[in-house]
Amino acid sequence: MANLKDIQRQIKSVSNTQKTTRAMKLVSTAKLRRAEELARRSRLYSDKLNQVIAEIAGRLKCNTVGGIDSRYFEEVDNAHTVDIIFVTADKGLCGGFNIQTIKAVKKLLKEYKDKDVKVRLSGIGKKGVEFFKYNETELFESVIDLSSKPDKKRSDEFIKTSIEDFNDGKVDAVHIIYNGFKNMMTQELHVNRILPVDTEKFDCEASEAQSMLEIEAQDEEKMLNSLVTKYVEYNMYYALIDSVAAEHSARMQAMDTATNNAKDMVKSLNVEFNKARQAAITTELIEIISGVESMK
Amino acid sequence: MDTFKLEIITPNGEIFNDKALSVTLPGEEGEFGVLAHHSSVSTLLEAGVVDIEKEDKTIESVLINWGVVQVDETKVVVLVEGAVAIRGESESAIATALEEAKTLVKSIEDAGQAIASVSAKLENAAQRLI
Repeated sequence: MANLKDIQRQIKSVSNTQKTTRAMKLVSTAKLRRAEELARRSRLYSDKLNQVIAEIAGRLKCNTVGGIDSRYFEEVDNAHTVDIIFVTADKGLCGGFNIQTIKAVKKLLKEYKDKDVKVRLSGIGKKGVEFFKYNETELFESVIDLSSKPDKKRSDEFIKTSIEDFNDGKVDAVHIIYNGFKNMMTQELHVNRILPVDTEKFDCEASEAQSMLEIEAQDEEKMLNSLVTKYVEYNMYYALIDSVAAEHSARMQAMDTATNNAKDMVKSLNVEFNKARQAAITTELIEIISGVESMK
Repeated sequence: MDTFKLEIITPNGEIFNDKALSVTLPGEEGEFGVLAHHSSVSTLLEAGVVDIEKEDKTIESVLINWGVVQVDETKVVVLVEGAVAIRGESESAIATALEEAKTLVKSIEDAGQAIASVSAKLENAAQRLI
Protein backbone atom coordinates (compact mmCIF):
# COMPACT_ATOMS: atom_id res chain seq x y z
CA MET A 1 0.00 0.00 0.00
CA ALA A 2 1.19 3.44 -0.90
CA ASN A 3 2.84 5.64 1.61
CA LEU A 4 0.61 8.12 3.48
CA LYS A 5 2.73 11.10 2.46
CA ASP A 6 2.60 10.08 -1.20
CA ILE A 7 -1.17 9.91 -1.19
CA GLN A 8 -1.43 13.24 0.57
CA ARG A 9 0.81 14.84 -2.01
CA GLN A 10 -1.25 13.36 -4.82
CA ILE A 11 -4.51 14.62 -3.33
CA LYS A 12 -3.05 18.10 -3.10
CA SER A 13 -1.87 18.05 -6.69
CA VAL A 14 -5.20 16.82 -8.04
CA SER A 15 -7.13 19.46 -6.10
CA ASN A 16 -4.82 22.13 -7.49
CA THR A 17 -5.50 20.90 -11.00
CA GLN A 18 -9.17 21.01 -10.22
CA LYS A 19 -8.87 24.65 -9.19
CA THR A 20 -7.18 25.49 -12.47
CA THR A 21 -9.71 23.68 -14.62
CA ARG A 22 -12.58 25.28 -12.77
CA ALA A 23 -11.09 28.73 -13.31
CA MET A 24 -10.56 27.98 -16.99
CA LYS A 25 -14.15 26.91 -17.30
CA LEU A 26 -15.35 30.17 -15.78
CA VAL A 27 -13.12 32.19 -18.10
CA SER A 28 -14.44 30.31 -21.12
CA THR A 29 -18.03 30.85 -20.03
CA ALA A 30 -17.47 34.58 -19.87
CA LYS A 31 -15.66 34.69 -23.19
CA LEU A 32 -18.28 32.50 -24.83
CA ARG A 33 -21.00 34.94 -23.90
CA ARG A 34 -19.14 37.76 -25.62
CA ALA A 35 -18.27 35.71 -28.70
CA GLU A 36 -21.83 34.50 -29.03
CA GLU A 37 -23.18 38.04 -28.84
CA LEU A 38 -20.81 39.12 -31.61
CA ALA A 39 -21.86 36.21 -33.80
CA ARG A 40 -25.52 36.96 -33.17
CA ARG A 41 -25.20 40.63 -34.16
CA SER A 42 -23.23 39.68 -37.21
CA ARG A 43 -25.85 37.24 -38.41
CA LEU A 44 -28.19 40.13 -39.18
CA TYR A 45 -25.70 41.45 -41.72
CA SER A 46 -25.27 38.04 -43.29
CA ASP A 47 -29.03 37.59 -43.62
CA LYS A 48 -29.41 40.90 -45.43
CA LEU A 49 -26.36 40.35 -47.61
CA ASN A 50 -27.60 36.92 -48.64
CA GLN A 51 -30.99 38.38 -49.37
CA VAL A 52 -29.59 41.08 -51.65
CA ILE A 53 -27.34 38.64 -53.50
CA ALA A 54 -30.13 36.11 -53.90
CA GLU A 55 -32.40 38.81 -55.29
CA ILE A 56 -30.00 40.13 -57.88
CA ALA A 57 -28.51 36.76 -58.80
CA GLY A 58 -32.01 35.33 -59.00
CA ARG A 59 -33.09 38.06 -61.40
CA LEU A 60 -30.04 37.59 -63.56
CA LYS A 61 -30.36 33.83 -63.54
CA CYS A 62 -34.02 33.77 -64.41
CA ASN A 63 -34.30 36.72 -66.76
CA THR A 64 -31.14 36.29 -68.79
CA VAL A 65 -30.63 33.64 -71.40
CA GLY A 66 -27.79 31.38 -70.45
CA GLY A 67 -27.83 32.33 -66.81
CA ILE A 68 -25.33 34.53 -65.05
CA ASP A 69 -22.22 35.32 -66.99
CA SER A 70 -19.73 35.52 -64.17
CA ARG A 71 -16.93 33.28 -63.06
CA TYR A 72 -18.16 33.59 -59.49
CA PHE A 73 -21.19 31.51 -60.34
CA GLU A 74 -19.78 29.10 -62.88
CA GLU A 75 -19.44 25.47 -61.93
CA VAL A 76 -16.07 24.10 -62.97
CA ASP A 77 -16.16 20.44 -63.96
CA ASN A 78 -12.47 19.70 -64.23
CA ALA A 79 -10.92 21.65 -61.45
CA HIS A 80 -7.13 21.65 -61.49
CA THR A 81 -6.36 23.74 -58.41
CA VAL A 82 -8.50 24.32 -55.35
CA ASP A 83 -7.98 26.37 -52.20
CA ILE A 84 -8.76 24.87 -48.82
CA ILE A 85 -8.79 27.24 -45.88
CA PHE A 86 -9.16 25.88 -42.38
CA VAL A 87 -9.74 27.64 -39.07
CA THR A 88 -8.62 26.09 -35.80
CA ALA A 89 -8.00 27.50 -32.33
CA ASP A 90 -4.69 28.95 -31.16
CA LYS A 91 -4.86 27.02 -27.93
CA GLY A 92 -5.57 23.45 -26.99
CA LEU A 93 -7.39 22.09 -23.92
CA CYS A 94 -10.70 22.15 -25.70
CA GLY A 95 -11.43 18.47 -26.26
CA GLY A 96 -11.73 17.26 -29.84
CA PHE A 97 -12.39 20.72 -31.21
CA ASN A 98 -9.21 21.14 -33.26
CA ILE A 99 -8.75 17.53 -34.21
CA GLN A 100 -12.23 17.36 -35.75
CA THR A 101 -11.37 20.20 -38.10
CA ILE A 102 -7.98 18.65 -38.93
CA LYS A 103 -9.62 15.32 -39.72
CA ALA A 104 -12.10 17.00 -42.06
CA VAL A 105 -9.24 18.84 -43.78
CA LYS A 106 -7.33 15.59 -44.24
CA LYS A 107 -10.41 13.91 -45.66
CA LEU A 108 -10.98 16.66 -48.21
CA LEU A 109 -7.26 16.72 -49.07
CA LYS A 110 -7.37 13.02 -49.78
CA GLU A 111 -10.51 13.33 -51.88
CA TYR A 112 -8.84 15.90 -54.12
CA LYS A 113 -5.60 13.99 -54.21
CA ASP A 114 -7.43 10.91 -55.48
CA LYS A 115 -8.92 13.05 -58.22
CA ASP A 116 -5.46 14.41 -59.07
CA VAL A 117 -6.38 17.96 -58.20
CA LYS A 118 -3.74 20.29 -56.86
CA VAL A 119 -4.63 21.68 -53.45
CA ARG A 120 -3.41 24.90 -51.91
CA LEU A 121 -3.88 24.57 -48.18
CA SER A 122 -4.08 27.72 -46.07
CA GLY A 123 -4.67 27.83 -42.37
CA ILE A 124 -5.64 30.13 -39.54
CA GLY A 125 -4.95 29.06 -35.96
CA LYS A 126 -1.80 27.79 -34.29
CA LYS A 127 -3.01 24.28 -33.56
CA GLY A 128 -3.91 23.38 -37.13
CA VAL A 129 -0.91 25.15 -38.64
CA GLU A 130 1.45 23.32 -36.29
CA PHE A 131 -0.17 20.00 -37.03
CA PHE A 132 0.32 20.31 -40.78
CA LYS A 133 3.83 21.68 -40.37
CA TYR A 134 4.72 18.69 -38.21
CA ASN A 135 3.29 16.35 -40.82
CA GLU A 136 5.25 18.13 -43.50
CA THR A 137 2.19 19.19 -45.45
CA GLU A 138 2.96 22.38 -47.27
CA LEU A 139 0.89 25.38 -46.27
CA PHE A 140 0.29 28.09 -48.82
CA GLU A 141 -0.53 30.76 -46.28
CA SER A 142 -0.81 30.63 -42.53
CA VAL A 143 -1.74 33.04 -39.76
CA ILE A 144 -1.56 32.07 -36.15
CA ASP A 145 -2.98 34.84 -34.04
CA LEU A 146 -6.13 35.68 -35.95
CA SER A 147 -8.48 32.99 -34.73
CA SER A 148 -8.46 34.09 -31.10
CA LYS A 149 -9.02 37.75 -32.03
CA PRO A 150 -11.10 37.90 -35.21
CA ASP A 151 -10.49 41.11 -37.10
CA LYS A 152 -12.39 42.02 -40.25
CA LYS A 153 -9.50 43.81 -41.89
CA ARG A 154 -6.96 41.06 -41.39
CA SER A 155 -9.48 38.44 -42.40
CA ASP A 156 -10.14 40.38 -45.64
CA GLU A 157 -6.44 40.50 -46.38
CA PHE A 158 -6.12 36.80 -45.79
CA ILE A 159 -8.89 35.83 -48.20
CA LYS A 160 -7.88 38.44 -50.80
CA THR A 161 -5.32 36.20 -52.55
CA SER A 162 -7.86 33.44 -52.91
CA ILE A 163 -10.45 35.78 -54.42
CA GLU A 164 -7.93 37.31 -56.81
CA ASP A 165 -6.55 33.95 -57.89
CA PHE A 166 -10.06 32.65 -58.37
CA ASN A 167 -10.81 35.64 -60.55
CA ASP A 168 -7.65 35.09 -62.60
CA GLY A 169 -8.51 31.46 -63.10
CA LYS A 170 -5.59 30.14 -61.07
CA VAL A 171 -7.95 28.55 -58.58
CA ASP A 172 -11.20 26.79 -59.43
CA ALA A 173 -12.85 26.51 -56.05
CA VAL A 174 -12.41 27.82 -52.53
CA HIS A 175 -13.45 25.84 -49.47
CA ILE A 176 -13.57 26.90 -45.85
CA ILE A 177 -13.47 24.31 -43.09
CA TYR A 178 -14.15 25.28 -39.51
CA ASN A 179 -15.82 24.06 -36.39
CA GLY A 180 -18.76 26.33 -35.67
CA PHE A 181 -20.98 27.03 -32.73
CA LYS A 182 -24.30 25.20 -32.55
CA ASN A 183 -25.28 25.51 -28.93
CA MET A 184 -23.61 25.47 -25.53
CA MET A 185 -23.13 21.73 -25.71
CA THR A 186 -22.35 21.03 -29.35
CA GLN A 187 -20.13 22.28 -32.09
CA GLU A 188 -20.89 21.77 -35.72
CA LEU A 189 -18.27 21.13 -38.35
CA HIS A 190 -18.72 23.27 -41.46
CA VAL A 191 -17.17 22.35 -44.78
CA ASN A 192 -18.36 25.17 -47.03
CA ARG A 193 -17.56 25.85 -50.62
CA ILE A 194 -17.63 29.64 -50.81
CA LEU A 195 -16.52 29.97 -54.43
CA PRO A 196 -18.02 29.47 -56.95
CA VAL A 197 -21.29 30.53 -55.33
CA ASP A 198 -23.96 27.88 -55.50
CA THR A 199 -26.68 29.12 -57.85
CA GLU A 200 -29.10 26.36 -56.93
CA LYS A 201 -30.34 28.23 -53.92
CA PHE A 202 -31.47 31.27 -55.92
CA ASP A 203 -35.00 30.73 -56.69
CA CYS A 204 -36.82 32.51 -59.49
CA GLU A 205 -40.09 32.98 -57.67
CA ALA A 206 -38.54 34.93 -54.82
CA SER A 207 -36.95 37.32 -57.26
CA GLU A 208 -40.15 37.68 -59.27
CA ALA A 209 -41.79 39.13 -56.23
CA GLN A 210 -39.17 41.83 -56.21
CA SER A 211 -39.61 42.72 -59.84
CA MET A 212 -40.55 46.22 -58.79
CA LEU A 213 -36.92 46.67 -57.98
CA GLU A 214 -35.11 48.86 -60.45
CA ILE A 215 -31.50 48.37 -61.26
CA GLU A 216 -29.88 49.59 -64.42
CA ALA A 217 -28.92 46.65 -66.58
CA GLN A 218 -25.21 47.31 -66.87
CA ASP A 219 -25.07 47.91 -63.16
CA GLU A 220 -26.49 44.57 -62.27
CA GLU A 221 -23.42 42.54 -62.98
CA LYS A 222 -21.03 45.07 -61.58
CA MET A 223 -23.09 45.19 -58.43
CA LEU A 224 -23.25 41.44 -58.22
CA ASN A 225 -19.47 41.06 -58.56
CA SER A 226 -18.86 43.67 -55.95
CA LEU A 227 -21.37 41.97 -53.66
CA VAL A 228 -19.86 38.54 -54.17
CA THR A 229 -16.44 39.80 -53.11
CA LYS A 230 -17.96 41.19 -49.95
CA TYR A 231 -19.92 37.99 -49.50
CA VAL A 232 -16.79 35.86 -49.63
CA GLU A 233 -14.89 38.22 -47.34
CA TYR A 234 -17.76 38.20 -44.94
CA ASN A 235 -17.98 34.40 -44.98
CA MET A 236 -14.34 34.23 -44.01
CA TYR A 237 -14.90 36.65 -41.15
CA TYR A 238 -17.97 34.83 -40.00
CA ALA A 239 -16.05 31.53 -39.98
CA LEU A 240 -13.62 33.20 -37.59
CA ILE A 241 -16.17 34.55 -35.17
CA ASP A 242 -18.23 31.39 -35.26
CA SER A 243 -15.10 29.37 -34.62
CA VAL A 244 -14.18 31.48 -31.57
CA ALA A 245 -17.62 30.95 -30.07
CA ALA A 246 -17.35 27.21 -30.71
CA GLU A 247 -13.84 27.09 -29.25
CA HIS A 248 -14.99 28.60 -25.99
CA SER A 249 -17.99 26.33 -25.75
CA ALA A 250 -15.75 23.30 -26.41
CA ARG A 251 -13.25 24.45 -23.82
CA MET A 252 -15.96 25.11 -21.30
CA GLN A 253 -17.22 21.59 -21.73
CA ALA A 254 -13.76 20.01 -21.64
CA MET A 255 -12.88 21.90 -18.49
CA ASP A 256 -16.15 20.97 -16.86
CA THR A 257 -15.42 17.29 -17.51
CA ALA A 258 -11.89 17.73 -16.22
CA THR A 259 -13.15 19.35 -13.03
CA ASN A 260 -15.60 16.49 -12.46
CA ASN A 261 -12.91 13.90 -13.11
CA ALA A 262 -10.59 15.60 -10.64
CA LYS A 263 -13.39 15.58 -8.08
CA ASP A 264 -13.88 11.82 -8.51
CA MET A 265 -10.16 11.27 -8.27
CA VAL A 266 -9.84 13.23 -5.03
CA LYS A 267 -12.71 11.16 -3.66
CA SER A 268 -11.07 7.82 -4.44
CA LEU A 269 -7.69 9.08 -3.24
CA ASN A 270 -9.30 10.08 0.05
CA VAL A 271 -10.64 6.57 0.48
CA GLU A 272 -7.20 5.19 -0.21
CA PHE A 273 -5.66 7.63 2.24
CA ASN A 274 -8.08 6.59 4.99
CA LYS A 275 -7.37 2.94 4.36
CA ALA A 276 -3.63 3.51 4.51
CA ARG A 277 -3.99 5.52 7.71
CA GLN A 278 -6.11 2.77 9.30
CA ALA A 279 -3.54 0.17 8.25
CA ALA A 280 -0.77 2.21 9.85
CA ILE A 281 -2.74 2.52 13.11
CA THR A 282 -3.43 -1.21 13.13
CA THR A 283 0.25 -1.99 12.62
CA GLU A 284 1.22 0.34 15.47
CA LEU A 285 -1.36 -1.23 17.79
CA ILE A 286 -0.13 -4.72 16.97
CA GLU A 287 3.40 -3.61 17.73
CA ILE A 288 2.42 -2.19 21.13
CA ILE A 289 0.32 -5.20 22.06
CA SER A 290 2.95 -7.70 21.01
CA GLY A 291 5.55 -5.65 22.95
CA VAL A 292 3.38 -5.81 26.10
CA GLU A 293 2.77 -9.52 25.56
CA SER A 294 6.48 -10.25 25.29
CA MET A 295 7.17 -8.43 28.58
CA LYS A 296 4.79 -10.70 30.52
CA MET B 1 -43.66 65.06 -43.60
CA ASP B 2 -43.79 61.30 -43.83
CA THR B 3 -41.13 59.15 -42.30
CA PHE B 4 -39.64 55.82 -43.36
CA LYS B 5 -37.71 53.13 -41.58
CA LEU B 6 -33.94 53.29 -42.00
CA GLU B 7 -31.56 50.50 -41.06
CA ILE B 8 -27.79 50.71 -41.33
CA ILE B 9 -26.19 47.32 -40.79
CA THR B 10 -22.48 46.50 -40.42
CA PRO B 11 -20.80 43.10 -39.91
CA ASN B 12 -20.57 44.04 -36.23
CA GLY B 13 -24.23 44.85 -35.77
CA GLU B 14 -26.71 47.63 -36.45
CA ILE B 15 -25.59 51.20 -36.00
CA PHE B 16 -28.87 52.83 -36.90
CA ASN B 17 -32.38 51.50 -36.78
CA ASP B 18 -34.98 54.18 -36.49
CA LYS B 19 -37.43 56.35 -38.38
CA ALA B 20 -36.02 59.06 -40.61
CA LEU B 21 -37.40 61.96 -42.63
CA SER B 22 -34.75 61.78 -45.31
CA VAL B 23 -31.36 60.30 -46.01
CA THR B 24 -28.56 61.37 -48.35
CA LEU B 25 -26.38 58.57 -49.68
CA PRO B 26 -23.06 58.61 -51.54
CA GLY B 27 -24.06 56.62 -54.63
CA GLU B 28 -21.61 55.40 -57.23
CA GLU B 29 -22.71 58.07 -59.66
CA GLY B 30 -23.05 60.84 -57.14
CA GLU B 31 -24.95 61.70 -54.05
CA PHE B 32 -28.67 61.12 -53.95
CA GLY B 33 -31.36 61.78 -51.43
CA VAL B 34 -34.20 59.49 -50.44
CA LEU B 35 -37.50 60.57 -48.94
CA ALA B 36 -40.44 58.44 -47.89
CA HIS B 37 -42.35 56.71 -50.71
CA HIS B 38 -39.28 56.56 -52.92
CA SER B 39 -39.54 54.01 -55.72
CA SER B 40 -37.72 50.70 -55.24
CA VAL B 41 -34.09 50.74 -56.17
CA SER B 42 -30.90 48.89 -55.30
CA THR B 43 -27.49 50.36 -55.86
CA LEU B 44 -23.91 50.37 -54.71
CA LEU B 45 -22.53 53.07 -52.47
CA GLU B 46 -19.05 54.54 -52.46
CA ALA B 47 -16.97 55.64 -49.54
CA GLY B 48 -18.52 58.79 -48.15
CA VAL B 49 -20.87 60.27 -45.62
CA VAL B 50 -24.48 59.27 -45.10
CA ASP B 51 -26.57 62.15 -43.73
CA ILE B 52 -29.70 61.11 -41.91
CA GLU B 53 -32.41 63.61 -41.10
CA LYS B 54 -34.08 62.15 -38.07
CA GLU B 55 -37.66 62.57 -36.95
CA ASP B 56 -36.77 65.48 -34.69
CA LYS B 57 -35.13 67.18 -37.71
CA THR B 58 -31.62 66.81 -36.32
CA ILE B 59 -29.04 65.48 -38.72
CA GLU B 60 -26.81 62.56 -37.96
CA SER B 61 -23.78 61.69 -40.09
CA VAL B 62 -22.38 58.21 -40.62
CA LEU B 63 -19.12 57.62 -42.44
CA ILE B 64 -19.03 54.49 -44.58
CA ASN B 65 -16.33 52.86 -46.71
CA TRP B 66 -18.48 50.71 -48.98
CA GLY B 67 -22.11 49.84 -49.08
CA VAL B 68 -25.15 48.67 -50.88
CA VAL B 69 -28.58 50.15 -50.40
CA GLN B 70 -32.01 48.71 -50.94
CA VAL B 71 -34.77 51.25 -51.09
CA ASP B 72 -38.44 50.50 -51.16
CA GLU B 73 -41.47 52.61 -50.39
CA THR B 74 -41.47 52.22 -46.65
CA LYS B 75 -38.01 51.05 -45.80
CA VAL B 76 -34.36 51.76 -46.60
CA VAL B 77 -31.75 49.15 -45.75
CA VAL B 78 -28.11 50.13 -46.03
CA LEU B 79 -25.52 47.37 -45.76
CA VAL B 80 -22.09 48.76 -45.08
CA GLU B 81 -18.76 47.20 -44.36
CA GLY B 82 -17.04 49.74 -42.15
CA ALA B 83 -18.98 52.59 -40.59
CA VAL B 84 -18.59 55.17 -37.87
CA ALA B 85 -21.49 57.26 -36.60
CA ILE B 86 -20.61 60.81 -35.62
CA ARG B 87 -22.61 61.16 -32.44
CA GLY B 88 -22.23 61.23 -28.71
CA GLU B 89 -23.61 62.65 -25.51
CA SER B 90 -20.61 64.78 -24.67
CA GLU B 91 -17.99 66.71 -26.58
CA SER B 92 -15.36 64.13 -25.75
CA ALA B 93 -17.53 61.31 -27.06
CA ILE B 94 -18.01 63.21 -30.31
CA ALA B 95 -14.28 63.83 -30.51
CA THR B 96 -13.60 60.10 -30.07
CA ALA B 97 -16.10 59.26 -32.80
CA LEU B 98 -14.49 61.84 -35.07
CA GLU B 99 -11.09 60.35 -34.35
CA GLU B 100 -12.38 56.86 -35.25
CA ALA B 101 -13.90 58.26 -38.41
CA LYS B 102 -10.60 59.81 -39.41
CA THR B 103 -8.87 56.45 -39.01
CA LEU B 104 -11.47 54.93 -41.31
CA VAL B 105 -10.96 57.75 -43.82
CA LYS B 106 -7.24 57.07 -43.76
CA SER B 107 -7.78 53.36 -44.39
CA ILE B 108 -10.04 54.22 -47.33
CA GLU B 109 -7.41 56.58 -48.72
CA ASP B 110 -4.80 53.88 -48.35
CA ALA B 111 -6.97 51.68 -50.51
CA GLY B 112 -6.53 54.28 -53.24
CA GLN B 113 -9.93 55.93 -53.33
CA ALA B 114 -10.09 59.66 -53.56
CA ILE B 115 -12.47 61.19 -51.08
CA ALA B 116 -11.24 64.69 -50.52
CA SER B 117 -14.58 66.13 -49.54
CA VAL B 118 -15.24 63.57 -46.87
CA SER B 119 -12.93 64.97 -44.21
CA ALA B 120 -14.44 68.42 -44.54
CA LYS B 121 -17.92 66.96 -44.26
CA LEU B 122 -16.98 65.09 -41.12
CA GLU B 123 -15.67 68.24 -39.48
CA ASN B 124 -18.91 70.02 -40.35
CA ALA B 125 -20.96 67.22 -38.87
CA ALA B 126 -18.94 67.35 -35.66
CA GLN B 127 -19.24 71.17 -35.50
CA ARG B 128 -22.98 70.92 -35.79
CA LEU B 129 -23.13 68.65 -32.79
CA ILE B 130 -20.83 70.69 -30.57
